Amino acid sequence: MTDNNVLLRVENLVKHFPIMRGIFQKQVGAVRAVDDVSFEVKRGETLGLVGESGCGKSTTGRAILQLYRPTSGSVYYDGVDLVKLKGEELRKMRRKMQMIFQDPYASLNPRMTVGEIIREPLLVHSVASDAEANDRVKQLLELVRLNPSFATRYPHEFSGGQRQRIGIARALALQPSFIVCDEPISALDVSIQAQVVNLLEELQDKFGLTYLFIAHDLSMVRHISDRVAVMYLGVVVEMTTRDELYYNPLHPYSQALLSAVPIPDPVAESTRKRTILVGDVPSPANPPSGCRFRTRCPIAEPLCAEKRPEFREVKPGHFVACFFAERFVK
Amino acid sequence: MAEPLLEVQGLETTFKTPDGTVHAVNGVSFEVKEGETLGVVGESGCGKSVTMLSILGLVPSPPGRIVAGSANFFGRDLLKMSIDEIRAIRGAQISMVFQDPMTSLNPVLTVGRQLTEPLILHLGMTKQQAEDRAAELLEIVGIPKARDRLSDFPHQFSGGMRQRVMIAMALSCSPQLLIADEPTTALDVTIQAQITDLVKRLRNELGMAIIWITHDLGVVAGLAQRVIVMYGGYIIEEAPVNELFANPLHPYTVGLIGSLPRLDESGQRQLTSIEGVPPLLFEKPKHCPFAPRCKWVMERCWNENPPLELVSPEHRVACWAWPEVKKERPR
Repeated sequence: MTDNNVLLRVENLVKHFPIMRGIFQKQVGAVRAVDDVSFEVKRGETLGLVGESGCGKSTTGRAILQLYRPTSGSVYYDGVDLVKLKGEELRKMRRKMQMIFQDPYASLNPRMTVGEIIREPLLVHSVASDAEANDRVKQLLELVRLNPSFATRYPHEFSGGQRQRIGIARALALQPSFIVCDEPISALDVSIQAQVVNLLEELQDKFGLTYLFIAHDLSMVRHISDRVAVMYLGVVVEMTTRDELYYNPLHPYSQALLSAVPIPDPVAESTRKRTILVGDVPSPANPPSGCRFRTRCPIAEPLCAEKRPEFREVKPGHFVACFFAERFVK
Repeated sequence: MAEPLLEVQGLETTFKTPDGTVHAVNGVSFEVKEGETLGVVGESGCGKSVTMLSILGLVPSPPGRIVAGSANFFGRDLLKMSIDEIRAIRGAQISMVFQDPMTSLNPVLTVGRQLTEPLILHLGMTKQQAEDRAAELLEIVGIPKARDRLSDFPHQFSGGMRQRVMIAMALSCSPQLLIADEPTTALDVTIQAQITDLVKRLRNELGMAIIWITHDLGVVAGLAQRVIVMYGGYIIEEAPVNELFANPLHPYTVGLIGSLPRLDESGQRQLTSIEGVPPLLFEKPKHCPFAPRCKWVMERCWNENPPLELVSPEHRVACWAWPEVKKERPR
C-alpha cells in the first residue's frame, strides 16, 4: 500500500460510455472503452501504453487524470484516490498531473498568443503574478528550445513540431511530476518526431518526470519506455519491461502486434516471420465473452470463450492475461 | 534487364496560391520497370503525391500547372494526352489506391456499383459479367461472403476492409502499373500487415509493377525493390533497397534512417534528429534544398543545387558532399 516508489496506482479502472436511443434518451447499452484495468507507474519511469485505435488507451489516460470520471475503480496518486476527490481538492491535485495532446493543431487555442497559452495554467491556479508569469513563459520557451520572442505570436505561425513544443511548455508550466503523453508525435513528420522525443527524454532527466506514454507506434514505445503495457479492446493483456516484451512476448496479441511492425532494414525484413491476424477488432459495445482476443487468436480454445483469463504474473515482473502464456515462456 | 514501363523526365509542377507560386515538383526524373516495386519516400509536402497525380493528369488546373517534363508509358507521353485518352488509361492500365479509403469511395453508391463501373466502362462487360467479376475480386482481396457484400455501402465496411475494396477496384482491369499513395498510413499496424501481405501476394500472382508512396521507411524496407527519396520537390537519392539502407549517401536519407527507432534494438541509442523544418517551396531554391538543415553543408551547396548523379551502378544521389557523408555518417 505504501510503496514509496509507486507514484500512480490504477486499480480495476472501468470507463463505460452509455449509448442512448430514442426521444427519451434511454440507455440501451454501453461502449466498454476501459474494462477493469490495473497497473502501477513508478516514480521517474516511463510506462508505455500501446494498442490499436479504439483499444481504450487514450480513455485510460484521460480517466487517470479525471478528465473522464471513471465508472468505477480507483486511481491512487501518491496514495490519494483521485476518484474520490471533488472540486477544489481535485483542482489542487491537477497541478501535479498534466497532459500533452496528440494533435498540435487542435490543442492550442488559435485566438490566444503563445504567451497567453503557456501563462494560462499559472493564472488559473494563481501560482504566479503577472510579472512572474511573463518571466516563467520566457524560461519555458527556452526550455523547449523555442525563441522567447515567440511569446507574442499566434499558433498558426508555427509548424507542427514547434506547436507540439508549445504544448509541452504549457504542460510543464506548473512543474508537474506526472505527464500523460497522448500520442504526442503521431501527427508529426518523421524527421520532426525524433526532435520531440529527444526533448521529452531530456526534460525527464532534468526534472525527474514520470510519463505515461500512449502510442500505437511500438518502435517508438520501445525506444522511450522503461516498461510497456499492451492494451486490446479495453483490457491490458500484457505488461513487462520493454526488452522482455520484445524478446519474450507471452500474449498472442502482443506477438502478432510485434510481428506486424515493419523494421526499417530490408535485410531484417526479408528474414522475419509474420503472424498475420485475421479479421478486425470487434466492437467495444459488444465485446466477445471470456477472453477479448479469442475471436482473432491463433491458439484460442473453448475455455477462452467461457472464462476471462486472469491478469497474472507469469515471470517476475511479467504480467499476462492468457491461459496458455506458459507455452511461450523462454 | 526489364524494359522501363514508365519513364518520367524532368517533371515540374507548380501551384498558384494567394501567397505565391508553390514549386511542388522541381524537375523529377525516374523510371519504373515492368513488374518492379518502386518505393517513393518523403515527408509531407516533399512532392511525392503531386508527382504521381501529375503523371495521371489528376492535378487540378488551375491552380496546378505542369510546367515541363514528359512521362512515357508504352512509348506514349501521358502528359500530352487529351482528357479522353488519359481516361482510357487511368483505371485500366494504370490504377491508383489512395490514402484515405473513406474519402475515396463514394458514400452514396454501393460497393458493387463502384466496383462494376470500371469493368463496364473499360472492359465493356455486361452488368451480370461485371458483377461476377466484382465478387471474384472481393474474394481475391480476402473479403468474406463477397457476393453478399456487393450490395453494402462503404460505411458498412471497416477501415481495413475499405482499403481492400479500393485495392480490388484498382485491380479490376488488371493494370500493368498500380500507384499506391500511402495506402496503409490511416490503418493500424496489424491491418497494415494484412494489406502489405495482400499486395505482395497479388504482385507475385499478377506480375504488375507498383509505385508505393509512403513516409514509412519500414514499409518500404519490406516491400520495395528500388527506392526514391524525395525532399523539397526533388529526388535526392535513388538506389536498390538494400543498398539504400546499407549505404545511404544523402545527408537527409542518413538523418531519416537515424531518426527512426527500431523495434529490434534497445532504447539506449539517442535518436539523431534532423534540426529545422522542411522548406516552404515558395521559390525554387538556387541552393541545395536541404542545405539549411544539413550537417555537411559547405560553401558550394549555397551556390549550386547539386544534380542527381550516378555514383555507382544503380545508385544516384544529389549531394556535393556525399564522399564525406560516406566517411563520417554514424553507423
